[in-house]
Amino acid sequence: MFASQRLRKWLRYSAIYLTLTFFALVMLFPFLVMLFTSFKQVSDTFIFPPRLLPRVPVSAEVAGFEQPLPLYRVEFEGDTSEFVLLERSVRVGYFAPPANLETTYLRELDQAPATGETAVVNGVEQPLYRVELDGAFVPMVLLNRTAMARFANPEDLSQTVLAPLRTTPPVERIAFTLDNYRSVTELHAMDRSLTNTALVTIGVVLGQLTTSILGGYAFARLQFPGRDRLFVIYLGTIMVPFVVLITPLYQLMVMIGWVDRLASLIIPWIFTAYGTFLMRQFFLSVPKEIEEAAIIDGASRLQILWCIFIPASTPALASLTTFTFLYAWNSFFWPLVIINTGNENNRVLTLALSVLGGRAADSPNLVLAGAAIAVLPPVLIYVLGQRFFVESATSSGVKG
Amino acid sequence: MRIKQLWSLIALLLLVSLVLAACGGGTTTSQPAANEPAANTAVEPAAPAAEVTIRWRTRPDNQEEANVYQNISNQLDAQLEGIKLVYEPGGSETASYQDVLKTELASGTAPDVFWIPGTDVADFATRGLIYDLRPLANATPGYSDDAFYPGPMLHLTFNPATGKSGEVLWGLPRDVSTFALYLNLDLIEEAGAEDPRELEAAGEWDWDAFMEVAKAVSALGGEFKGYGGSAWWGPYGVWINAAGGSFFNADRTACALNTPEALEGLAFAQMLYTQSGVAVPYGEDPEPPFRAGKVGMFQNGRWATPGIRTVNFNWDVVGLPTGPNGEPGNWLFWGAYVVNANTPNPEQAWKLVQALTTAETQGKVAALGANIPSRVSQEALDAFLTFTPPANNQAFLNGLAQDPTAEGPLWAGSWPQFVTVMDAAISSLLTGQTTLDNFAATVCDEANKAFNR
Amino acid sequence: MQLTTNRARFGLPGTLALHLRLVAGWHILLSVVGATAVAYLWLANGGMVLWLKGISTAVLLMLTIASVLAVPALLRRQHRGRTLSLLVNYLGFVFALIALLHYAGVFIGIDALANTFGRGVLFFSVILAGYLVHGVADRFRDYPQTFRRLQRTGNWVMLAGLVAFLLAVGLIPGLLAFLARLGEPRNALLFGAVLLFGFVLWLMWRHEMASLLGEKSRDSEMLNGYLFLSPNLLGFLLFFAGPLLLSLYVSFTDSDAFGRQNWIGLQNYGEIFNLSVAPLQSPTQLAGEVLDVRVYDELTRFTLFGRSYVLGAQDKLFWIALRNTVMFVLTAVPLSVVPALLLAAVLNSQVPGMKVFRTIYFLPSIAAVVGVALIWRWLYNSTVGWINYFIASIVTLINQLAGAEVLTDPQIGWLSDTKVALFAVVIIAAWQWMGFNTVLYLAGLQNIPKSLYEAATVDGANSLTQFFRITIPLLAPTTFFVVSTTTIQAMQIFDQVYVLTNPPGGPGTSTTTIVLYLYTQGFRNFRQGYASSIAWVLFLLIFGLTIFQFQRQRSAAAE
Repeated sequence: MFASQRLRKWLRYSAIYLTLTFFALVMLFPFLVMLFTSFKQVSDTFIFPPRLLPRVPVSAEVAGFEQPLPLYRVEFEGDTSEFVLLERSVRVGYFAPPANLETTYLRELDQAPATGETAVVNGVEQPLYRVELDGAFVPMVLLNRTAMARFANPEDLSQTVLAPLRTTPPVERIAFTLDNYRSVTELHAMDRSLTNTALVTIGVVLGQLTTSILGGYAFARLQFPGRDRLFVIYLGTIMVPFVVLITPLYQLMVMIGWVDRLASLIIPWIFTAYGTFLMRQFFLSVPKEIEEAAIIDGASRLQILWCIFIPASTPALASLTTFTFLYAWNSFFWPLVIINTGNENNRVLTLALSVLGGRAADSPNLVLAGAAIAVLPPVLIYVLGQRFFVESATSSGVKG
Repeated sequence: MRIKQLWSLIALLLLVSLVLAACGGGTTTSQPAANEPAANTAVEPAAPAAEVTIRWRTRPDNQEEANVYQNISNQLDAQLEGIKLVYEPGGSETASYQDVLKTELASGTAPDVFWIPGTDVADFATRGLIYDLRPLANATPGYSDDAFYPGPMLHLTFNPATGKSGEVLWGLPRDVSTFALYLNLDLIEEAGAEDPRELEAAGEWDWDAFMEVAKAVSALGGEFKGYGGSAWWGPYGVWINAAGGSFFNADRTACALNTPEALEGLAFAQMLYTQSGVAVPYGEDPEPPFRAGKVGMFQNGRWATPGIRTVNFNWDVVGLPTGPNGEPGNWLFWGAYVVNANTPNPEQAWKLVQALTTAETQGKVAALGANIPSRVSQEALDAFLTFTPPANNQAFLNGLAQDPTAEGPLWAGSWPQFVTVMDAAISSLLTGQTTLDNFAATVCDEANKAFNR
Repeated sequence: MQLTTNRARFGLPGTLALHLRLVAGWHILLSVVGATAVAYLWLANGGMVLWLKGISTAVLLMLTIASVLAVPALLRRQHRGRTLSLLVNYLGFVFALIALLHYAGVFIGIDALANTFGRGVLFFSVILAGYLVHGVADRFRDYPQTFRRLQRTGNWVMLAGLVAFLLAVGLIPGLLAFLARLGEPRNALLFGAVLLFGFVLWLMWRHEMASLLGEKSRDSEMLNGYLFLSPNLLGFLLFFAGPLLLSLYVSFTDSDAFGRQNWIGLQNYGEIFNLSVAPLQSPTQLAGEVLDVRVYDELTRFTLFGRSYVLGAQDKLFWIALRNTVMFVLTAVPLSVVPALLLAAVLNSQVPGMKVFRTIYFLPSIAAVVGVALIWRWLYNSTVGWINYFIASIVTLINQLAGAEVLTDPQIGWLSDTKVALFAVVIIAAWQWMGFNTVLYLAGLQNIPKSLYEAATVDGANSLTQFFRITIPLLAPTTFFVVSTTTIQAMQIFDQVYVLTNPPGGPGTSTTTIVLYLYTQGFRNFRQGYASSIAWVLFLLIFGLTIFQFQRQRSAAAE
């Protein structure tokens, strides 16, 4: 009885952990691929089957060659040995005696000259070649042509073997390269984009906090004519999708000359109905008595807001900050419309990344290094302050 | 509490006022350092070295190509007096380069000189976005339209108001290009197929021979494909052209995709992509697998050469196979440098356009690998042949000689709209979602809406 | 009580009365200037767009009238006069300040700040260090001396860091240049206006003036209310409400962004909704024989009561985009909500390590969509991508287990096959949204009282019954929130498609969504009027959906 209960508990736990781990892997795997690929060389990316860890080919110095030659694992006399690649493409053919097409012999085409005679095989007349077999020359027909690479023992170059280059595994070692990050920042000005994104994010977050706190306080605690009607209008606009605004906002930016300016990414975004709403809801829960006492003490409204309300509303501030941070850092549609792709100086990360994705479509190592630059800062901040992130999501759900 | 307030107030004031001030000053103070004299000259017109800044832009498809143009910009910057050049590589994606340009033209932040594909000249010209260079050209000694290939010049001098060519000048062609097949020689040899270059030399390089090679390479295994072509109008247009068909009727005023010739070409393309299974599926970008060594023949223009020079297998190019018409049906691709209609410095912009299209500059661009000179000059062509790899550069020039169809804008309609309909219809044809009969019955009804009614 | 003491302390009625008369004079001047400006706007300046002219006139007239009304009220020492005067001067101050900053290049100068910002980043850490020292001080509250010293050190470090940061990003040259710009006539004028408005504002805001005009606490609260709301409200009007109305106006025009903007009434909406149905002789008959193909394109065919019909649309792409969007919503929302609920239920079972898993699940939702889409583009690669590799491996495994070829490797062209491309986008979206929804559900679950489950266990209900009878009904509010926000998000899908597919919306039209189509029309074909009307259709759709969900939620809650 007791044992079966323990067994059931154990089963339950393993089922839970199995599910959780599976989903955790699904969630993490793309990030792992991004990270590992960003440390790869381009020649290591288009490999099938795919593999996670970055690898580089190993070469060996060989007497008589200026450059080191790449090493491959080949079958030689029944063993697997590490040979160097001597020649990439040697034309070879499969030969067979006309009498017995089942046994074929692999020979280089150059070493099997045509005899000038022919033989009828399967009803077709085919030329015969002089193929060496155990020291003797035998006339054979050519069944199939292909190309193979010649590998040799680096210690003894006379030991050679022919094998298809494509299917011969190279000798490799695991090595991480930082070149991708270097070339992404230098060639594609990703560092400048990072600065721009950081600046825009800081501007939007600070601005939104300021306007939302002030507005939220006014809506929550101050009586003035038209307040409730205004608040309903604010609430109603939360649902308006951004795309409705995109055309007129673009035309407005043209009018005031902010196209291709970072100002267009910051200033229109520091006034939000959502933030005001969030702060108002939180301020409503602050007890009125403290505020009244402060007013009797002669404190101004700004002092009350600063000394009483703001310290009391850390969770709401944290959630507004995280939301705004993520929104500003990750926004793409608006920068795509308003910032010139040709102007590297004002590109934000998402835009630079989308340009990089097109221009370096053939080097996923570069693209994913760029993606890592864009994705990792929020992830790091998240890991450091994850309590706030989760709380922000939670509070949005409870209060929304 | 008092002290705390004071501190907060001081910090807040400092932050707000000083950051604002810092922004304001930054414009003038850091711009000379950042070499952005555009604003500078506007502010101080009396600057002693009155250099005019000209911004120009192309659409590089890869980093190698972007580097080519940056080098050219640096060379011309030193060469042209009184002009400071700023090169901006535009977005690479076919879909957004022109869109972004138009957005910038609408908002007044577009560069002074920019490259656009030949197909887009009409859209830009009829919207009044590009400058008519004819008066400036007439005043330029030694300038002649005839120095360039006539196909592009026909469209670049077309006046939509009168319907005649030769009256205006929208720009000068940057380069011309034709399609060739980039070959993975290692793969073709391993497959034991005939060498397409030898077949071409023997005059046997036709659609059947092409299919033989493609089938042999595909037989190497599931992930190997004999042929790869990108999913846009160029590659599939070749099959239509080679069968004697065309996108439009002769005077480019209606859709001709349902003519028997066009359908014959499309039938071959459909067979190639669907039934035979030898092609990289339509819609997949074939360049990555080609560069990964998994595609035998990759159809692309000269502009792909700089990127392909980095692969680690033996490669070369060969001309396109001839179709039932006896011609390979190649395109004459071209794009032109045009001038922003609202540029404050049209003279300097015209100078840049000329400098970008001299035989010398074109030679340099060609040397770096991306382009074929757009000037009709044996000298330029001879020089082009020396820029290897690929060893078989002649394949591109043969393409020029074999009566290619020049790409061109639709003066009588909207090319973007036409191509949207055509791409969608052909995409569903080549991915096996619709039949050729159904395609033939419906495509022109929809595509004809792109023409002005 | 307080008022009288104030008056006793500061009461200098002679000076105050002078100030009051000065302000009244200032308002007379303002009224004249305002009226002149309106006249100038309509008589001399013809180049302005009509709606802009209208708005400017309205604002100017409002200020002028307020100014005129303020004069007698002030002279009669009514508090209404102070309110009006404050309103006029505050708005004048704000507009003049914004104009000054604009013309002095402060907003545009943010670009230049970005140029030098990198240099100052290091000093940010100094500020952070100061903040940390300040924070550490809190631990020494019991030792007042150490506490104060630490706090003071922290403050000084923060201040030093801030100053160093500002110097590093170019404060001095910035200030100098700003001052130099002030010398330009227009800027000098604006600067003067800022000072004047500011001065009058200060005059009127003072306690003395308030007392003189008999401010009541209700008045003070009202003024504070508007003042606090004003930054938000002005920005909201300028960048949200204004553009929103403008967008509605633009949707009735043929605006093309190159200067054309003619009123065309409902034509844009007419084009969107222009549909035509025609009966077919046979299901395979060509649409061109029954539809006017000069207007309509065949959208789809359907069979009703044994007869075949063909549906044509003038703007076929809009309807395809709508269909794709609806398909997307119908798959992405369940796929990101249902697993989230299950995961939350599992996570809620109080096993150790729950927080680690929660952290991991939340991760995708904070990553930039563009980056995520690029990662997945690589995973989806049909030749060397991981996903096809996993599928192939599983197929091989199953075949080995079965000992026969029961399955063949499908070799899915995730981004090139029109039948699966949209689903590829759905997978990414679900992957990204699932963690967020999980966290929301987790919060909802933790609000359910434990006693309910305990009671149910006593009654003998098993955990499955409990889940369906207790958990799901009690989670209804959370579910409403999760489903409606995810739906709204899904209706506006754009970034993923734009980055993932090439050309965007491809292959063919299989992933063209409404927002992507809107982008194409507005910023590729430059039919911005048409794009605006699409945006409003989308807005109405979202609005309707949300209201519908809200109603259902309400009626469910009422039961």
